[in-house]
Amino acid sequence: MTGRGFLPALPALILLFVFFLFPVVRMLGFSLEGGTLDWYAKALGEQLYLRVFWNTFEIALLVTFFCLLLGYPLGFLMATTTPFWATVGFIFVLLPLWTSVLVRTYAWMVLLGRNGVFNRTLMEAGIISDPIPLLHNFTGVLIGMVHVLLPYMVLPIYGAVRKVDPAIPAAAAGLGASSFSIFRRIYLPLTLNGIFAGSVLVFVLSLGFFITPALLGGGRVMMIAVLIEQQVREALNWPFAAALSAVLLVFTFAVYALAQRFTRTETESAR
Amino acid sequence: MDIKRLHRRHALSLLGGAAAVGAAGPAFAQAEPAKPAQLVVNHSGGSMGTAMRKAFFNGFEKKYGIKVVETSPVDFGKLRAMVDSGNVEWDLTEIGGQDAIRAGKANLLEKIDPKVVDRSKYPATAQNPYVFASSVYTTIIGFRNDVFKNGSQPKSWADWWDVKKFPGARSMRNHPTDNLEFALIADGVPKDKLYPIDFDRAFKKLDQIKPHITVWWSTGQQPAQLLLDKEVVLATGWNGRFYDIIKKGAPVGIEWNEGSLKQGSFAIPRGAKSPYWANKMLAELAVPQQQAVYASELGYPGLNLESLNFVDPKVKPFLPTAYLDQQFWVSDQWYAENGTKAAELWNAWMLKKG
Repeated sequence: MTGRGFLPALPALILLFVFFLFPVVRMLGFSLEGGTLDWYAKALGEQLYLRVFWNTFEIALLVTFFCLLLGYPLGFLMATTTPFWATVGFIFVLLPLWTSVLVRTYAWMVLLGRNGVFNRTLMEAGIISDPIPLLHNFTGVLIGMVHVLLPYMVLPIYGAVRKVDPAIPAAAAGLGASSFSIFRRIYLPLTLNGIFAGSVLVFVLSLGFFITPALLGGGRVMMIAVLIEQQVREALNWPFAAALSAVLLVFTFAVYALAQRFTRTETESAR
Repeated sequence: MDIKRLHRRHALSLLGGAAAVGAAGPAFAQAEPAKPAQLVVNHSGGSMGTAMRKAFFNGFEKKYGIKVVETSPVDFGKLRAMVDSGNVEWDLTEIGGQDAIRAGKANLLEKIDPKVVDRSKYPATAQNPYVFASSVYTTIIGFRNDVFKNGSQPKSWADWWDVKKFPGARSMRNHPTDNLEFALIADGVPKDKLYPIDFDRAFKKLDQIKPHITVWWSTGQQPAQLLLDKEVVLATGWNGRFYDIIKKGAPVGIEWNEGSLKQGSFAIPRGAKSPYWANKMLAELAVPQQQAVYASELGYPGLNLESLNFVDPKVKPFLPTAYLDQQFWVSDQWYAENGTKAAELWNAWMLKKG
């Protein structure tokens, strides 16, 4: 890094140091209060906390899966359709992103409740006789989180598909390749970067989710952020909260580093 | 006429001032601390903030010319952070009962000045040197009265547990406090023998009701909303939240029997900028007439025992103080010592499958 390149970045670096790095280091300091690793032993040794970590991991994985399932076709369509429909797609993807998570979560409560729009419509149509439990359980959390996080999957995928030179699939089609093999042999490998970027983003964001599981889970779905909040505000056990946060942080970094390595090898082999 | 009234008021205040000086004696030497431009009061917000403004803050501002700035929510963690860092933004804050006891012990609070705040009309249980008991609230059963007609609602915790006789989706709070007590009462423990809590017995009883709880609520407004949306037909909740929707015409009723009483509290954070004026505000919160105004708004009566005399008789049936002998007091003391353990056991129990 040359001096010239470094200077303009200085304000941003100072900002990051003061408001991000310093608090994180202080938090790590909290978790080691008294010079022992006792709080880490508790976080990683007790079944209750391991269970919550596992729950969080499981939910994050499922949310990523469903986001990919819905997000890939959407991003693909937006990148390959006419500019008009692409704009329509963007509005639908971005508008929710600009709406508060709280508002969106409450909207789902109105839609998914026992007497919500969805259940009442189905019951009045005579399709079901008892309301389907969609809210205040695992399903509710999953629906809410996928909705909130979908844009983070769609946008990188859209970008990746846009980067594919349209001449390549056209050439393949001209040579008689089926649309499935065009997808499998051209689009899929060339957009793998976007898939990874989107998946990592969604997964990492899911790990720290708080509002949506708290409101749509009916109290039954416990994620690690909920537990940390409880330790900070109710139990006032800050060293333990800090240890739980540190474990989550390390885990998140590990996932990120792993994905990073994956993407790099992919890019290199693609060249 | 205006001038005359002004003169009279002026004369009266002079007289009052003279009397105070005469009574206070030595205090005369110390001048009253300078008035700050504003006093920051932190509370739960929502309709409670509106009621506090109407009952207390407007009067305080007029009397002393100090602007009352309101903040929310109540946050024990934030209180500790403020005191630890020496940057105390609140002059006065609402605080949960058991948290108040812990905060007093952890040296996070200023002592209340008995010379400023008159608590002589308060019950002995509400005389903690650090904690001002501002109001009483209770966790009771709210029910849809279009489902449970003509008094057919569950009238005890044993009834609440009886899902055959009283079917329907239920909601309880996602918290050990109240629920452990309710379980023990349902299991036959007398109301005055609840503490120390027998965890095994309580959780065993809770196992029975767990499959029938549709929602474990976490914020105070949830149970009222769940009843309104008919998401559940029975919910435990704080009396003021149910009172609020009943006032607005919701088909909801309250069963008071075996409710768990708690006190709402206020305290002065250690290192607050204007502790003297915070005490003055507490003195305002102790005025029975103003407490009556507050109680009529929210259903949370004050602990000044005289305040009930000033309440509209139509409001009385919605105040927990009208049913004190049917209910029990949650032991803040016990939770201050065992709250963390209770929370851990509760979390573990919630995560248990089934």
